[in-house]
Amino acid sequence: MLSNFTAIEGRSFGYWRLVIFFGVLVLIGAGSFVAVEVHGHGITGMNNQIVWGVPHVFAISLLVMASGALNLGSMSTVFAVKQFKQFGRFSAFLAIALLIGGLAVLMLDLGRPDRLLLTMMHMNFRSMFTLNVFLYSGFIILCFLYLWSMFEYHQFTKVIGSAAFMWRVILTTGTGSIFGVLHAREVFHSAITAPTFVALSLSSGTAISILLLVTTFKQTKRDLEDKVVFGLRNALIFFILLVAYLLVVEKFTKYYSPAFYDVQGWILTGPYSSLYIFGVWGAAIIIPLAILFHPSKGNSVSGVMWASLFSIIGTFSIVAHLLLAGQAYPLNMFPGYEVSSAFMDGVTATYSPAAVEYMLGFGGIGIAGIIYLLGIKFFRMLPDKAVAPEGYELPWNP
Amino acid sequence: MTMDRRTVLGFGGAAVAGVALAPGMTLIAAPSPDKTEASGDQRWAMLIDVNKCETNCTACTKACRQENNVPLFGDANRDIHWIRKLEIRDKEHKRPSVSLPVLCNHCENPPCAHVCPTEATFIRKDGIVLVDKHRCIGCRYCILACPYKARSLVYKKTSFPEGGNPNVPIRAKGVVEKCNFCVHLVDEGKEPACVQACNGEEGNKAMVFGDLNDPKSEISTIIREVKTQTIRADLGLKPHVHYKGL
Repeated sequence: MLSNFTAIEGRSFGYWRLVIFFGVLVLIGAGSFVAVEVHGHGITGMNNQIVWGVPHVFAISLLVMASGALNLGSMSTVFAVKQFKQFGRFSAFLAIALLIGGLAVLMLDLGRPDRLLLTMMHMNFRSMFTLNVFLYSGFIILCFLYLWSMFEYHQFTKVIGSAAFMWRVILTTGTGSIFGVLHAREVFHSAITAPTFVALSLSSGTAISILLLVTTFKQTKRDLEDKVVFGLRNALIFFILLVAYLLVVEKFTKYYSPAFYDVQGWILTGPYSSLYIFGVWGAAIIIPLAILFHPSKGNSVSGVMWASLFSIIGTFSIVAHLLLAGQAYPLNMFPGYEVSSAFMDGVTATYSPAAVEYMLGFGGIGIAGIIYLLGIKFFRMLPDKAVAPEGYELPWNP
Repeated sequence: MTMDRRTVLGFGGAAVAGVALAPGMTLIAAPSPDKTEASGDQRWAMLIDVNKCETNCTACTKACRQENNVPLFGDANRDIHWIRKLEIRDKEHKRPSVSLPVLCNHCENPPCAHVCPTEATFIRKDGIVLVDKHRCIGCRYCILACPYKARSLVYKKTSFPEGGNPNVPIRAKGVVEKCNFCVHLVDEGKEPACVQACNGEEGNKAMVFGDLNDPKSEISTIIREVKTQTIRADLGLKPHVHYKGL
């Protein structure tokens, strides 16, 4: 089944056009970083109520997708799904690229990025941030070793691949826990926030893999059998259903307690309700599932790609909603009381993202894109053609 | 010089491993030569009598700004508040509103210190929670973690204010700050500026500052004899700003 792995030629106009496009994104991100470094966060839309804005939405979304990008490798190495073995290299490499893109945004959005070295000098192991530094570093190392084993030392692939799989679950749990552990924030604080992030990584990682695989194979004129894409589609369906399940369980639990009526009502009616209804439920759950279960759209590659695109938009929406609505909802310092002050106590915080914030986020996407494009040009990441094993039939179709 | 792919991959891997492992290396920080340690014999705390605090009185907030050179940017969303006045009222509007100042509660279990990745936020032995502004990387995680909204990021470059207090340095942009119980005054045996102002001519004598470890101190006596409350005691943070009459 496995064909040869080859690097793409990367000489075409289309290839260099993409390199330039992502390069421009990197430059835009770099420009925005310099502007914020010189003028301070005063030129962003962030304030002392919403301290994590659009850059964090990009960064966290990329980190979640990075973990999920390892899906294809994990499915073949850990769960022995043979038709995905041919994407193992692509999977591990994409995970590294997305992780570096996300981390770059996270670090460059610090108030004092020049002091980053201090994170290596003084560590607080009770902080989720410190733990995440190790989780992200370890993930990059494991993905690299996994990649190397697939290139050179096949005897270690199973062990390293399994370790990488476990690590990515812990890593995404760590990312979700950044929010889940904050007991003062009613929108964040939940034991189910971390598992929701894990589910989200599964769906978004599969979605970005579908989009990149189909596009790359098409652009480089390589064969990608529809059956392989539909296998990924089936996985995507269940991952999206898993996200929906966890969102429903969280809502159900909170609606059961009168103490949460106010915050839950605010989520449905407050200024972030459109993002919740159209982004979280529309883009992340309903639209992709409607496409994937449609008898004709769900059985066409273009339909699967549209569903994947919506799933990624939905991932950004879920992260944006959790992050922004979670901060905008007023802190409940005096339960049962109305509160007011000159420091915006008791009112929903306002936030209008500035262009520099989007620019920094796009810079992260640019970094991930450049790494991916250079990777597939210089290394044998992708098979000449990707086909399903002989005699393989999809267990079901929508 | 040309390199084959295997060599490039090896170098790439080494670089990635280097960058990834670097955070695990602990570099030794030189201790500050004038480093002093607070005594664990004291446990500083504050008591605010809400019945005495008046709505229109801002003596504490003004004194704090003056003492600590806390600037106002004219942007309510970005202004820095070490202490602020709140009006609270029951949702049914059956009782009159209550005015009270809110500041860093110098918790025994401070979530801000727990989440700080560089230990820039730390607890002194006498219980005062401080921010080392030279160690803060501006990640803002502490602002999210604080249930009292007691922390602010400095969004703009500030300059030393005219008539400002020369004993307190100006702030650096990009770092987080908060009330420090006027630690420079406490170390001189004085009370925080807000407490001094509240007990001065402009104030209403609603604030008491003292040592909880001293059973004879005024604050210990009141807390022992009168019912007092802390904000969000349910969170288990053991705040050290107590309220009487809340």
